[in-house]
Amino acid sequence: MAGGMERRVWDLLLILTAAPHSGDVVTSALRLSQAVLDKGGSVRVWACGYATMMTQDTFGDTKPPNTRDPGGHYPSPSAIVRRMIADGRGRFGWIACTACTEERGATHHIPQVRHRSPLRLATTVVGARQTLYLGGA
Amino acid sequence: MNAGTARPGGTASYFLIESKGNWAGPDAGAFLLDGAALAEAGHRVRVFLVEDGVFSAVGTGTPGIERLAAAGAEILVDDFSAAQRALGGPDLSPHARLAGMDVAAAALTEEGCRGVWH
Repeated sequence: MAGGMERRVWDLLLILTAAPHSGDVVTSALRLSQAVLDKGGSVRVWACGYATMMTQDTFGDTKPPNTRDPGGHYPSPSAIVRRMIADGRGRFGWIACTACTEERGATHHIPQVRHRSPLRLATTVVGARQTLYLGGA
Repeated sequence: MNAGTARPGGTASYFLIESKGNWAGPDAGAFLLDGAALAEAGHRVRVFLVEDGVFSAVGTGTPGIERLAAAGAEILVDDFSAAQRALGGPDLSPHARLAGMDVAAAALTEEGCRGVWH
C-alpha cells in the first residue's frame, strides 16, 4: 500500500532507570545528550523509576541556596530539561513513564514532558537508531 | 545481524561504556572481559570508562585493561569523570587515553555501531 506514514527516527534513546541520587548517572546522561545535540543529532530520554522525579514543576527554576556559594545559580533538574528541550528545537525530547510517575505520585511534570505508558517502550526503542539502557532500580 | 551493522568479514563495531567501579560487586570487571572476548573474536571494540568506571584504568596493574589492549581494543577514559576524581593522564594505564563525551557521541551515532552501557 502506498502512502504509509513515515515514522521519525531519533539518533539516540537513553532509557534512564537509575535513580538520580544513586550516583553520577544523570550528569552522564545529560552530558551525552548535549554532546549528541552539539554535533547536530537528536536524543530522546525515557525516564523511568525515580528519574521521573526530575521533571516536577514543583522544583521551580533553581535548587535551594548553597550556603557555601550564596551568589551561585544552580538550576533545578526540571529547568535544565526545559532549557535543553527549548534549545534543541525538536531534537531533544523527554518522556516520563506513566506507571513510574503514578507509583511515585510524581504527576506534576513540566508541560514540555511527554507522558507515555510502558506499553509503548518497545515502540519507542524501534524509533531510535541507538538505544542505551542506563540501568539500576 | 542487521545488514546495517555488518562490517567486513562479518565483524561488528562495539562501543562499550563502563560506569561501574572495580569494587562494584562480584561481577565487577566482567563487562571489560566481555569486551576483551569480543575483541579477541575479531570485532572492533572501543571501551569508554565513565563515572567510577575510570578507576579500572588507574595505574599499571590493570589486568582487564591489559587484556583489552592486547586484543586490540581502544580504551578511552572520560576526561570529566577523571577530573572529578582528581585523576589525570599520568595516573592512567599507558593503554588508556583521556577523551571527551563528544567522542562517545560521535561513536554512538556511527552507522552500525552497537552501544552498551553498563
